[in-house]
Amino acid sequence: MTNDTAAGENVDGGVPYRSRRRTLMRAGVPLAVAAVIATGVGLVPALAADSPPDLPSLTAEQVVAKVLGSDAQALSGTVSVSTDLGVPTQLLGAAAGGLGAAAGRGGGQDQGSSADPQTKLLGLLGGDQTLRVAVDGPDHQRVDLLENMAGYTLVHNGDQSWAWDSSTNQAVHETGQAARHTGAEHPKAPLTGVPTTPQEAAKQFLTESAGTTSVTVAGTAKVAGQNAYQLSVKPTQSGSTIQEVRIAVAADNGVPLSVEVLGTDGSTVLDVHFTDVSFAKPAAKTFDFTVPKGAKVTEHKADEARGQDGKKEAARTAGDVNVIGEGWTSVVTGHLPSGPVGAPEDGAKNGKHHGNGGFQNPQALVKSLGKPVNGGTLISTKVLNVLITDDGRVFAGAVTPSVLQSAAGVK
Amino acid sequence: MSQADSMSRAEALPVLSGAVTSGRRPQTAAGFLALFRNELHLTFRRMRTLVLLGILAALPILIGVIIKVNTDSPRGGGGGAPSFIAQTTQNGLFLVFTALAVALPVFLPMTVGVVAGDSVAGEAATGTLRYLLVAPAGRTRLLAAKFTAGLAFCLAATAAVAVTALATGAALFPLGKVTLLSGDTIGLGEALPRALLVAAMVALSLAGLVAIGLFVSTLTGSGIAAMATTVVLVITVQILDSFPQLDAIRPFLFTHYWLSFADLLRAPMYWDGMLKNLGLQAAYIAVFGSAAWARFSSRDISA
Repeated sequence: MTNDTAAGENVDGGVPYRSRRRTLMRAGVPLAVAAVIATGVGLVPALAADSPPDLPSLTAEQVVAKVLGSDAQALSGTVSVSTDLGVPTQLLGAAAGGLGAAAGRGGGQDQGSSADPQTKLLGLLGGDQTLRVAVDGPDHQRVDLLENMAGYTLVHNGDQSWAWDSSTNQAVHETGQAARHTGAEHPKAPLTGVPTTPQEAAKQFLTESAGTTSVTVAGTAKVAGQNAYQLSVKPTQSGSTIQEVRIAVAADNGVPLSVEVLGTDGSTVLDVHFTDVSFAKPAAKTFDFTVPKGAKVTEHKADEARGQDGKKEAARTAGDVNVIGEGWTSVVTGHLPSGPVGAPEDGAKNGKHHGNGGFQNPQALVKSLGKPVNGGTLISTKVLNVLITDDGRVFAGAVTPSVLQSAAGVK
Repeated sequence: MSQADSMSRAEALPVLSGAVTSGRRPQTAAGFLALFRNELHLTFRRMRTLVLLGILAALPILIGVIIKVNTDSPRGGGGGAPSFIAQTTQNGLFLVFTALAVALPVFLPMTVGVVAGDSVAGEAATGTLRYLLVAPAGRTRLLAAKFTAGLAFCLAATAAVAVTALATGAALFPLGKVTLLSGDTIGLGEALPRALLVAAMVALSLAGLVAIGLFVSTLTGSGIAAMATTVVLVITVQILDSFPQLDAIRPFLFTHYWLSFADLLRAPMYWDGMLKNLGLQAAYIAVFGSAAWARFSSRDISA
């Protein structure tokens, strides 16, 4: 029976038929192909990562000054954001829902729009995201969130700000002074205080944590094809859950190109970096936004004073918020919104019965997710710890649980 | 044994009687084309293939009618592509993208699995494979012809979905300016080439699966077994792809970047995911194509 194969291949018949050997040899071919591809996949990133560039050595202060004095006005590029806070995704979803509902009541809107930047950018806290960023001075910014089969766009152009969600075709439109004000203070994040680019995040770190922080230069690196200095920022206080923040700063113009946050267990908690970047002026039409046909637009007026500051914004939506302590061990306190249906205070205790449908009482939710500790419920993630006391107060921070407990006044 | 002997004689004869005495006939493009044409006829003249294409063509009509009927609710429910459905009511062209996004995870791979899985095993089962091998084409060329015919089916299947989706969309919804995922609005003239590009990308996404199906097909003499294995493989891989815990291997699953074609609908287009998809498909073709060759060229054809 083996003869037919032999005839097909060795017609001249000079060579005796060696089926087994040939079969083995041929079976080796796909294995070799697979091996070559696997090596290629493994080697290409290793080869692409060039050796650290040779740059004149600078002190940490010089590099920080480079960042703060950076006069780069225009840039465009692609940013990769990967977050591993260890936060359950259901919690993020519920938090977004709760915040949206709270914003709906507090802001006097009829209902929360899915295009609301506050709720949308909470999604950045979980998993990997790709953003496209274009900036031209303080008056023109655009951030495109490349979602799976959908898109979310934030555009700030002069006194106009737009947020648009493709999956629901809903938009938020903001005009007037507030929009410009937001832009001036947070050039990279129109409408919100959430840092969406390396610049924004690095500047926040460098300005807000002076005094409680040690900053050193940890060599050089290449990020998105640019030569960069690596800044290593470490807390000098104890009680923080953050071990180190690494910031790569472009050697040419001081633009931060990547921010990496390491937790105390050495794992990467947050990694924001440009995968490609250009400092050329983006085309003006990038910042033109005409509302798509059929979109449901929610208008915001300037006197609503939205988005002056991330924390104040959070305060408006989530109730009165205070900050205890300073630097790395600062703790944010506030009150839980008592529930999207306006449940009374005791709704927290039997909140599980209220939690029907998509909306769940946030207080009941945290109780079901957290573990009971002295004085309340603790939701513990890799970096962020949240303590919800039994009377509904919230203490949150990138600190150890004992810091939270002492802030709450429980032992 | 006598059968095999007669076959080997038959196979050897044309070569020996030809001008070239040491080896088989030189491989010409015309020869391959004839073989490929033969395979195309075999694939597309089958009632089964036509029924499969018909089902694929009916899918966009179904989706279009459902969206038309439920046009009040802004969200079209769960599934693979709820995000496109909102736009479909605004512009019929988006039905093309919606239909492709719905068809890509299940329907398209199922039909491709049937065609690719049956390509060699089905011939072995019906006993026609040995007669094919009697032709002095060589097994490698036969395999290449079958693979190319499988790719042609991918194109035809994608086209069946896209064309009926376009027709249904034009009939049920207004055509006109298209809103991209990035919020930009482009004219219909600019949007149609994008739709074509999307369809091409979807068809190419299935190329790796054709190679896998072909390999499975060379392993067995039963067409049904090969088809079932291929389809089960597609489903299993997609289930694996949905586990975040398997992050380390997910980028190497051939379905992982399938839906990246949506990045064509941004302005400017975002090629990262699609280039990865094409590279991944090429890798699967290389590995499983060579595996199919290794198996088929050294296998006993007993049926």
